[in-house]
Amino acid sequence: MKLAYYPGCTLHGTAREYDASTKAVCKASGIDLVEIEDWNCCGALEAIFDKELSMGLSARNNFKAQKTGLDLVIPCSICSHNLSRADTAMKKDEAFRTKIERALGEKYNGVKIKHLLDVMVNDIGTEAISGKFTRSLKGIKAVAYYGCLLVRPSEVSKFDNPENPMSLDNLIRSTGADCLPFTQKTKCCGGNLLMSKQDYAFILTKKLFDEAKAIGANCIVVACPMCHMLLDGQQTMIEKAHNTVIDMPVLYFTQLIGLAMGLGEKELELDKNMVPASKLIGSIGKEAKVEVKAAGKAQGAEAAE
Amino acid sequence: MIKSSELDPNFKYEIAKEPGGENIMKCFNCTGCTVGCPVTEIDKSYNPRKILRKALLGMRKEVLSDDSMWYCASCYICFERCPQDVKITEVIGAIRAIAQREAKAGKIKIGNNKPLFDNLFIDSVKSNGKWYEAGVSGTFMLKTKGIGGAIGYAPMGLELFKKGKLSILPHKIKGTNEIKRIFEEVEKK
Repeated sequence: MKLAYYPGCTLHGTAREYDASTKAVCKASGIDLVEIEDWNCCGALEAIFDKELSMGLSARNNFKAQKTGLDLVIPCSICSHNLSRADTAMKKDEAFRTKIERALGEKYNGVKIKHLLDVMVNDIGTEAISGKFTRSLKGIKAVAYYGCLLVRPSEVSKFDNPENPMSLDNLIRSTGADCLPFTQKTKCCGGNLLMSKQDYAFILTKKLFDEAKAIGANCIVVACPMCHMLLDGQQTMIEKAHNTVIDMPVLYFTQLIGLAMGLGEKELELDKNMVPASKLIGSIGKEAKVEVKAAGKAQGAEAAE
Repeated sequence: MIKSSELDPNFKYEIAKEPGGENIMKCFNCTGCTVGCPVTEIDKSYNPRKILRKALLGMRKEVLSDDSMWYCASCYICFERCPQDVKITEVIGAIRAIAQREAKAGKIKIGNNKPLFDNLFIDSVKSNGKWYEAGVSGTFMLKTKGIGGAIGYAPMGLELFKKGKLSILPHKIKGTNEIKRIFEEVEKK
């Protein structure tokens, strides 16, 4: 499978480990990524007060993708939302299309745009991916965190249930890791308020950690660089602000399945995460003993009754 | 108290004309947006239902100068759940656009820092084609927290830099003239 690739600004900066692990996992899954030429920022959520500008900036990337003749894959939930929305507007809103075609001097026909998770679980298929796994990740007790734009609004993101998505849960389970039920899976991390209302952003993110820790998770798995920025990048700041210890590794889903594929930690850039993942990786395969003990205890309790 | 003599019945049409604000008049004030809002959960002063109701009544000045309007985290929960397809997240965006124009014209004052960050971000995209993280964040910190506040962020910036995650200089794309033309076209309205 050959796909056009739009990394977006963060994957060439703060989310470089998402870029590296995306490339590594795609290569191992037989996906050939062709990065689109001279792409630009999609406007993120900072252009929300100017919808046409936001979609216009995004549309330029769609023109670039169109030239490749390939479908477009995007690992960032915000970019994927923006470029998909721009594609729809370019097809349905004639006045808008006229403006952007005039600005760029080209005709727009449309591009098929998908989030990387959608490609992995639906186009390649969770089962086919798990066929590439060479080691079980038993010992990892993850929660799947989808955040906002990966699954909603459902008029833009159509591949999973917007209220209770399961695609990432199922992918995590296919590695042999546990994936615990997580009621906060689509709650907002407050990423967009990080600069302007940091105290609120930190309260929102801390709520996610509170539940993840309470249910016994030892890592959070994400599919968005903005979520990762809050959960991983800002974790020590949140610990400071709330005078608490969180110590929770946050992996991109590509890093997790890369581990199951037996890819190297260097290749997956696990050393680039701000919260060290070494203890988590050390726990892989070590859980079995504890489980046997726990099961023994439970049986003992039953017998006593 | 609401004084009907001070209401601006055209405010709702003004919002509906703004891209993203088109569906505001479909709102029947069911409160679905507000009960699911993660920000309302931690601060009741942010109440999307009230913002919409006030806007529909024509409480123009009150809505445009309401600081809580800038608390929306653009999480799209209300957008997803709204039974009337009001597209609330984008209606808030439309109201923000009007508020920024009013502030530029000196008619209202915006106390919140959100538009400052958004505009620094967009300006950096306008000149480079990509967002200039170090420059935008640094300028924002300096403007809002002063030198002391900005220095507080230095350790994190340094760590990001050491990990190869932060570039000191902006990345410029080749097609900045195309970006400029997109800005010009959408500014025409």
